[in-house]
Amino acid sequence: MQDRSRSKEETVDALHAVAAEMHDRMMRGEPPRMTLPVRSKKNIAFDEKLNVYKYGSKKTIRDATSLGSAHQLLRALHVTEFMEDMIESKKSSTLREMYYISEGWGYGKFGSQNESNNLAEDLEIVTGCLREDFKLRPEEDGARIIGNLTFQERNRRGEWMRINCRDDVGDSGYGVPYNVESEKLQLVEHDIDFMMAIETGGMFDRLVENGFDELARCGLIHLKGQPARSTRRVMKRINEEWGIPIVVFTDADPWSFRIFASIAYGAIKTAHISEYLATPSAVYLGIESGDIEAYDLPSDELTSRDIEALKAEKSDPRFQSQEWIDQIDLMLDLGKKAEQQSLAKYGLDFVTDTYLPEKLQQKLGLVIG
Amino acid sequence: MDKAQRIANKQKQISISEFFEKNKHFLGFDTHQRAIITAVKEAVDNSLDACEEGRILPEIHVDIKRLDGDRLELVTQDNGPGIPRDSIANVFGKFLLGSRFHAIRQTRGQQGIGITGVVMYAQLTTGSTTTVLSKIETESTAVRVDLALDTKNNRALRSNEDRLPLEEWFEESGMESLHGLRIKTVMAAKYQRGRQSVHQYLRMTSIVNPHATIRLRVFGKDGEIIDEGEWIRTTKILPRPVVEIRPHPHGMQFGTLQRMLKNTKERNVRSFLRKEFEKVSPLVSKKILEHAEIDEKRRPSGLSVEGIQNLLSAFMTVKIQAPPTDCLSPIEDLLIKKGLEKAIDSRYAATVTRTPTVSQGNPFQVEVGLVFGGDLPSDGSVEVLRFANRVPLMYQQGGCLLTKGIESIDWRRYGLEQTGGKGVPKGPAAILVHLASTNVQFTSEAKEAVSENEEVIDELRRALFEVGRGLQGHRKRIGQREKSREKFDLINKILPEIASKSSSMLGRPEPDLSPIITKIMNAVFCEEGVIWDSKEKLARCSIKIYNYTARARAYTIIVKWPERDGVALVENERGGRKETRGLWAWRLDAINPGGMTEISFAVNGLSNGDWKEAEVFYRGNGEIIGSERIDESLLEEIRKQEGLKGVVEEFVDESPVQSPMIEEALEGDSSVVADGEKEWRSDGKLF
Repeated sequence: MQDRSRSKEETVDALHAVAAEMHDRMMRGEPPRMTLPVRSKKNIAFDEKLNVYKYGSKKTIRDATSLGSAHQLLRALHVTEFMEDMIESKKSSTLREMYYISEGWGYGKFGSQNESNNLAEDLEIVTGCLREDFKLRPEEDGARIIGNLTFQERNRRGEWMRINCRDDVGDSGYGVPYNVESEKLQLVEHDIDFMMAIETGGMFDRLVENGFDELARCGLIHLKGQPARSTRRVMKRINEEWGIPIVVFTDADPWSFRIFASIAYGAIKTAHISEYLATPSAVYLGIESGDIEAYDLPSDELTSRDIEALKAEKSDPRFQSQEWIDQIDLMLDLGKKAEQQSLAKYGLDFVTDTYLPEKLQQKLGLVIG
Repeated sequence: MDKAQRIANKQKQISISEFFEKNKHFLGFDTHQRAIITAVKEAVDNSLDACEEGRILPEIHVDIKRLDGDRLELVTQDNGPGIPRDSIANVFGKFLLGSRFHAIRQTRGQQGIGITGVVMYAQLTTGSTTTVLSKIETESTAVRVDLALDTKNNRALRSNEDRLPLEEWFEESGMESLHGLRIKTVMAAKYQRGRQSVHQYLRMTSIVNPHATIRLRVFGKDGEIIDEGEWIRTTKILPRPVVEIRPHPHGMQFGTLQRMLKNTKERNVRSFLRKEFEKVSPLVSKKILEHAEIDEKRRPSGLSVEGIQNLLSAFMTVKIQAPPTDCLSPIEDLLIKKGLEKAIDSRYAATVTRTPTVSQGNPFQVEVGLVFGGDLPSDGSVEVLRFANRVPLMYQQGGCLLTKGIESIDWRRYGLEQTGGKGVPKGPAAILVHLASTNVQFTSEAKEAVSENEEVIDELRRALFEVGRGLQGHRKRIGQREKSREKFDLINKILPEIASKSSSMLGRPEPDLSPIITKIMNAVFCEEGVIWDSKEKLARCSIKIYNYTARARAYTIIVKWPERDGVALVENERGGRKETRGLWAWRLDAINPGGMTEISFAVNGLSNGDWKEAEVFYRGNGEIIGSERIDESLLEEIRKQEGLKGVVEEFVDESPVQSPMIEEALEGDSSVVADGEKEWRSDGKLF
């Protein structure tokens, strides 16, 4: 995220401001604190200007009057110190490594990796920096891409490597690195009409085997469940820099709806950088609730967790359009969900010969073949 | 011999064997698994009773060995007084013998069949004789004899009689005791483990007999140990000797009264009533007879059926004092605690011994113990340990009044799980229930389940409520302690680190933490701890009051301590004064903001584990976290009770005082606001 990156000094200053907020209060005889936006669906709102969902104005104060919060403040200081060291010594570490390093921080030790990941995000939010500025890497798995797209990636030796995602890769495709900013990855050229994001590996492999990328002149990207930051960022760049539409093909269940929301509207956890990660023009292709009946797909009963998740989505600001309300209500009515691969009921080619062409025509007006 | 005589003899012979055969189920020998438990039970009960009478700290060894063909060899050894040679045959060879059958007092065995049944069972099932080895203190040798039963004449047949020198006695008995008894027999029986086993029986026995050391070893056919247990005594205090009492008129039934009238040596009904019953004074006896319209000069044996009935109804009409209760032998709360700790590893133990009460002329007393936490399994039902007169009840748990009492309480409010607030609760706990009575009513001859009795269940429920409240208080204290510990961690560990880290990172001066600490804590905290000083044999208690508020605070601190005979407060430098029995109070000078005051004292006369947790109360303005405001109205109640009790004791009874009332009162509803605040305003001018 070139435009957002901070210099070494800027990052350290921003981190010091966090420590200064604590110190200033202590000098006034007040318990130290850190102020953060509330990070829940209750505090995300649509930003008209950026066309994505961002954190609203609700703030939460984390102050040292409870043991839990005091721990968080101390950890924030330890993390700050650790990041300064890394910036100084030009090293980087993964979030998991930081979690293990915290073993040596006494009372500042993290209880779980989730805690350390959350704190890294907290610091991004309060400093306005990105974790790349902090020299922290995710170990999350980036996506893989197949299709006639050509990238240029800077390898470990610092040389630019040209990779065509159809001709230069094996069946598993091109692996998206964790850093997809222009200093690491450049979009060179393409010959595709749209990009299709696919939730499950099974369906990705089916489409690859059936040669759908060539048949439909598209790029295929495997999301691996809830997509990593880099996956969303690379889709956003493809969409913006090449003007290529993004379509999303997932299971029909409440969790798939959330995957789509994080791609198109912004994820709750990363709402502070939604404008860099979300692709507002992304289209939800399917499987839609209505398809379960329309295509008479093999389905499963919704579990109580599914039903709860659907109900929660009804109060999620990102799902307030009529289309989504209908989509969610219909699924609740049916009491059913279906997987992408249930399309195999009609044979292995049904998805590429019938289902996707029908959907693409319906949603994008594209005629395949 | 005359033919008729022979038939009569034969009939008699058949009748005793037959009696045994037919009644095996309620004599406890109905199955092979149960036979060994019953045999151990009879022998161990006898040993405990004998030691109690001889005022000896019991040590009992039980060895069981598997033999071929579903037979077990049982050896029990005790350090009791032993049995004089000439009494051995009587004790082991006669049914329905023993003073206990007639006297009214609380004893373990009440069946009268006792050890003779074991000798009989062994003889009937394996043809084996029972070997008895007895050593009494006054003799220099032990006597050994093999016993068989002559069922025809209801007496024992002795054989192989022998005298053993002292060294051989020591070797045989495996004990360094100058007295004791060893029984060895072989019977058709099966050893099994589990809830209904010899092991469980001895474990339960050891709980209610904390003064006894009991050892169990079970050997397989090849001499390998297949089960064992050892429960070492946790106290050297013997149970109080029980006093025999006469029947009380309120407990009389027609048949019993008829028999007493017939057998009495008294010449007239007036002296019969006075001599044969408890609490019948000359005046009472006169009133009874007036009421029954019976001439006081009448011969007791001459009363008609109608006369007896009139007498019975007069018993119920005339006011008669309740029977004395010192014939009971409660285990007493502290010893129950020790017993439970001996057998069950737990975090918390609460016990209650209710004061004795009377039901239908029979004195009874309920005791309850509850252990919680520690290694107890938290899934599944709590273990219910039932006892009647110190005898474990192992069968028919569901049909027993003692279980029903537990089931009738909503344990959820005390922090145990319970479906619908009914039934045996679930959770990491065990509940002990002991009913001591001169006449325990069972549902059947098997004597495994106590039958319904409203007064008993009422008492039981009261006792269970008390331990329940104790558990609730304990859980609350644990919660508060956890909360204060967190706060202390925060200000002592985390906050200084935040201060030093942020200062050094920014290159700025370190802030003064004290105003911040006051803001964070904004409360008064109490930290209490009781530790055992094994060198000085003292329980040392320390109470620290931290004032983390912005104002000076003054309090009177009241601590509940295990006051009882032989126990005293020592090393109490702050002095203070006695609030009431079991409560000591210290009036503290005002504690300044950020200040701390410590009260420390020790309690002697206790042993390790007797006192683990001090309950701290306060009087004064502003809440203290980790302590409860004393409930003045309840305190007043206790003082009244104490006063009353003192008077009653002086005139009636010299038995040791138990005061479960204190516990009850203090752990009751404490939301009533005390008026102790006034006290400070008027004389303190502290704020």
